[in-house]
Amino acid sequence: MKRRYRPDVDVPEWTGGHYPYDILKEGTIALVVVLLITVTLSIFFGSPDEPAITIKAWSTAAPIDYAQTAFSELNGTSGTASYGAPYNQGDSQRLGPLQLEKWMGVRIPINAAQDFVLGPLQSLPGQPALTSALHTFQTASDATRNAWFDAYTKAEATMSFAKDQVVVPTTAAGPVPLMINDLTAMARSGALDQALLTRNSFYTTNYTQTLLLLSDGTYLANVAQQQHLLGTQWGMMNETGSYPGQAWLWLYTLWYQVPPYSQSSNGDVEVFGTLVLLSAFLLFVPFIPGLRSVPRRLGIYKLIWREHYRDQS
Amino acid sequence: MLVGALFPLNHLGHYLHWHFINVSVANTTVMILMIAVFVAAVALPFPGRRERKGK
Repeated sequence: MKRRYRPDVDVPEWTGGHYPYDILKEGTIALVVVLLITVTLSIFFGSPDEPAITIKAWSTAAPIDYAQTAFSELNGTSGTASYGAPYNQGDSQRLGPLQLEKWMGVRIPINAAQDFVLGPLQSLPGQPALTSALHTFQTASDATRNAWFDAYTKAEATMSFAKDQVVVPTTAAGPVPLMINDLTAMARSGALDQALLTRNSFYTTNYTQTLLLLSDGTYLANVAQQQHLLGTQWGMMNETGSYPGQAWLWLYTLWYQVPPYSQSSNGDVEVFGTLVLLSAFLLFVPFIPGLRSVPRRLGIYKLIWREHYRDQS
Repeated sequence: MLVGALFPLNHLGHYLHWHFINVSVANTTVMILMIAVFVAAVALPFPGRRERKGK
């Protein structure tokens, strides 16, 4: 018995004519056209040319924000210090009972206090007062350090910057004010950018630590907000200046704008999960009865191949 | 020699804001152009068709 023809599953054999088609010619024409359009547009409109934000630029423009961020790295309250995998042990985002980041483990270990504060300060040569302060800090008990941190935290609100010095009105914070002040001076000289880049390898292309430190402060977020680049501003789609950005990322950034994703502390992993689900849905369209019939029922293909269907009728 | 663009776009952009939707004018322009290209691709006759019909 002959099986019934299923319109969205079975493929009838083509019995009509065949024409030769030069796909290399088409590809070459497309490449040349796109090249011409790109060159013409760049002549007329240029390209994004935003100067890179460095630790030096940040600490020069906003020394207090930098000093406060450095202190949060030292006392372990910064975003990076408490991020969890892949940087350190900490609570990561949850997708229901699953903690996907923890599955990957700590692959890029970062000790915020050591990597962003103590390590760079230890690399500064010929500073006896700083060397002594570092020794005092590292040999102090946890209770003593916490007392220094508390005193510094209380005085932080009235912190000021004058004559190239970070001024913190407290005498109970031990060596911490001197350490933060010297680190701020190091950052403003540009030496911290170099120290973070070259510490782990000869090749200076790994900006992970620099970017993590920048993202812990408020300066980067403020610059991003001005440029409409924050996650809450559909920033994933945008480019600096008035240039068009990555419009095709609309589906990813859309979820960050609406509840519950916009209000969830697990927003990233929830958006990831949603996109995996939607991608799977798209992948399995040919197997979903009803949905797989939509293109046939819409009939746009008849519009595209209208000459063929006109010839047939 | 480096020369500047005729109409550089390195100034802050304009944005269209409607409820939770926030999209730049530049992105909107690109999206409209993409839709226009799609409509043109469907509407314009396929090149070479007439030539083949004559064969």
